Amino acid sequence: MLKMNNISRIYQSDTIQTHALRDFSLNVEAGEFVAVTGPSGSGKSTFLNVAGLLDHFDRGQYELDGVSVQGLKDNELSRLRNEKIGFIFQNYNLIPDYSIFDNVDMPLRYRGFNANERKRRVEEALEKVGLASRLKYLPSQLSGGQQQRVAIARALAGEPKILLADEPTGNLDSLMARQVMEILHDLNKDGATIIMVTHDTDQAREVNRNVQVIDGQLADFRVYAPLDRQAEQTGKNISAVASKNVNEEVVDA
Amino acid sequence: MRRLSMRSASMLAYNLTLAMQSFKRAPSLYFLVVLTLSIGVGLLCANLALVNSMASDPIPEKSEQLFHVSMNTWPNDDPQAEPFHILRYREAMKIVSSDIPKNSAVFYASGVYARDSASPSLKRFDSSVRATTPGFFSLTNAPFAYGSGFIKSSVMEVVIGHELNQKIFTGENSVGKVLELDGELLTIVGVLKPWRLRPLFYHATEGRAFNLTDDIYAPLETSIDLGWSIHARSSSTVSYKGVKFTRDRDVFYLQAWVELENSAKKQAFQYYLDNYSQSLKDVGEHPLAIRNELRDVNAWLLEQNIVDQKVLAFTLASVLFLCVCVFNASSLLLSRFHSAKFEVGLRRAIGASNKNILMQGITESALLGVIAGLLSLLLSWLFLKLSIKFLPDLENLAVLEPKLLLLGVLLALVTAIFSALYPLYRGTRYTISAELK
Repeated sequence: MLKMNNISRIYQSDTIQTHALRDFSLNVEAGEFVAVTGPSGSGKSTFLNVAGLLDHFDRGQYELDGVSVQGLKDNELSRLRNEKIGFIFQNYNLIPDYSIFDNVDMPLRYRGFNANERKRRVEEALEKVGLASRLKYLPSQLSGGQQQRVAIARALAGEPKILLADEPTGNLDSLMARQVMEILHDLNKDGATIIMVTHDTDQAREVNRNVQVIDGQLADFRVYAPLDRQAEQTGKNISAVASKNVNEEVVDA
Repeated sequence: MRRLSMRSASMLAYNLTLAMQSFKRAPSLYFLVVLTLSIGVGLLCANLALVNSMASDPIPEKSEQLFHVSMNTWPNDDPQAEPFHILRYREAMKIVSSDIPKNSAVFYASGVYARDSASPSLKRFDSSVRATTPGFFSLTNAPFAYGSGFIKSSVMEVVIGHELNQKIFTGENSVGKVLELDGELLTIVGVLKPWRLRPLFYHATEGRAFNLTDDIYAPLETSIDLGWSIHARSSSTVSYKGVKFTRDRDVFYLQAWVELENSAKKQAFQYYLDNYSQSLKDVGEHPLAIRNELRDVNAWLLEQNIVDQKVLAFTLASVLFLCVCVFNASSLLLSRFHSAKFEVGLRRAIGASNKNILMQGITESALLGVIAGLLSLLLSWLFLKLSIKFLPDLENLAVLEPKLLLLGVLLALVTAIFSALYPLYRGTRYTISAELK
């Protein structure tokens, strides 16, 4: 699903060169749930940005779902981001004056779906995270955990091949963090490929594989659980196989 | 193809919705952008309206075939060494008698007091008169609402303009009615439709280029016989007691226009005038070189310098002012787009291409441009009204024609998009990860 080989990312200021990633190589199979850990400034976020095509790299080869991304033009990269990747950010990154529906609808707009298809996908995605009844709410009317679930719904609505989560529970209390992690685990059980950057060692231990990044290089990895391939779901779209719904929360934020 | 156009329409609708949401988020800033652009465009449009009125072709359908006649037949070499734009009666008659032009008109400006002879009211209207030969109406394509022009130059008939017909006969068909003009009774044979010539090419001299068309068109011979005085420039080498006595004297007061359909006819008419001048010179009636000039409408108007240089200078200044407005609007939009950096980053992260972002920005600025365009039309109108208030001479010039209204909206559209280009360029230069921080 994701193949990085000797990736380097160098930030250049007037006088200083910073190697955020140096000869970074990682191979993530379809259906894996990988946690990326490491100290602050080690290059975790840079890795996730490069993996999510939010930043370019200076050297190396990167293949996403069989597509080599080197030399792709802006519109081709945009299409890859839109069709193959779902992002979950630490700060949720919802647009505050858009309704929940409009926030989840946003990536679908750039996909060219008609109104009916968009509506169906948005409702399905919100159903999966248990917020189908909050379509017209504004983000400020939801709790932090609910907002992150909206962000997950937004990532799922486009039925991507891989989910990239940047400290998805970093801003949540432990109860809400648990709910979000359960949703991610459910999605993974149903075949979703997930890469999650986290500081939380407990969360890192719960996933299939934990890779550690230090000084921009892959330092170590541990396999905590066998990879579940029984359903032969590799390569399937995430939301096509993720069907377990989260019960609606009835308590408003 | 149909799916693609539906998709484009859907994106356009989405971008319009985003633009409206963006306006709601920062109404003060967008109001300033709209106001800045509309003041710049409005001022420029108001000036262009004046320049347009001054520089436009008043009779485009045949301006290249109508020629003003200037002749060099002054009886001595002082003071006229150059061809003169007004002619003696006998030169005028020589022109009228030629069968080379399709139409010809010689005339002078006069003025009378007019009233309906059948009206019990003694109220008279001060009316401008064009004392002319019958060819005037065909030559100028004068538009008739009722009746037609007079056929002879010595009949007691007149054609009246729309405004005078409104004043005296409340706009009714007044053909056949009799006007009392300075005590003389003349029958109306034609009434013109509203007729504006901007500039008034047939009498562009003496600062009259932006006067209205005349109230009354009277036969030339009749006007001379009735002694209707000359209300325009005249020159003479002899003394005379009135227009009645000008036919056989060296009194220069008639302007002449001819319609020559092609260059061969123009050349033939030039020979005709030159031969006539030569014949006068041969018998010692003037000592000057043979120089008769035929200038078509636009060349004649150019010769008269009717486009006010001050208005041109002010128009240039308003172009520069518009540039300042565009820079201001651009700077305002730059700050707006900078504050929207996060949203741009988010949209790019979830799949919007730079082209999508560019189209979103252009749609927003185009919508701003349309709003600014409409406001600029209102401001143009206000600027013109103000101009007339301070400079009443501009009244007949200060007209916003449909093409200028369209130009105003287009100009606002272009300037709004232009203002947004640099901010948009800057907005799509960052890496997405930097925008999201």
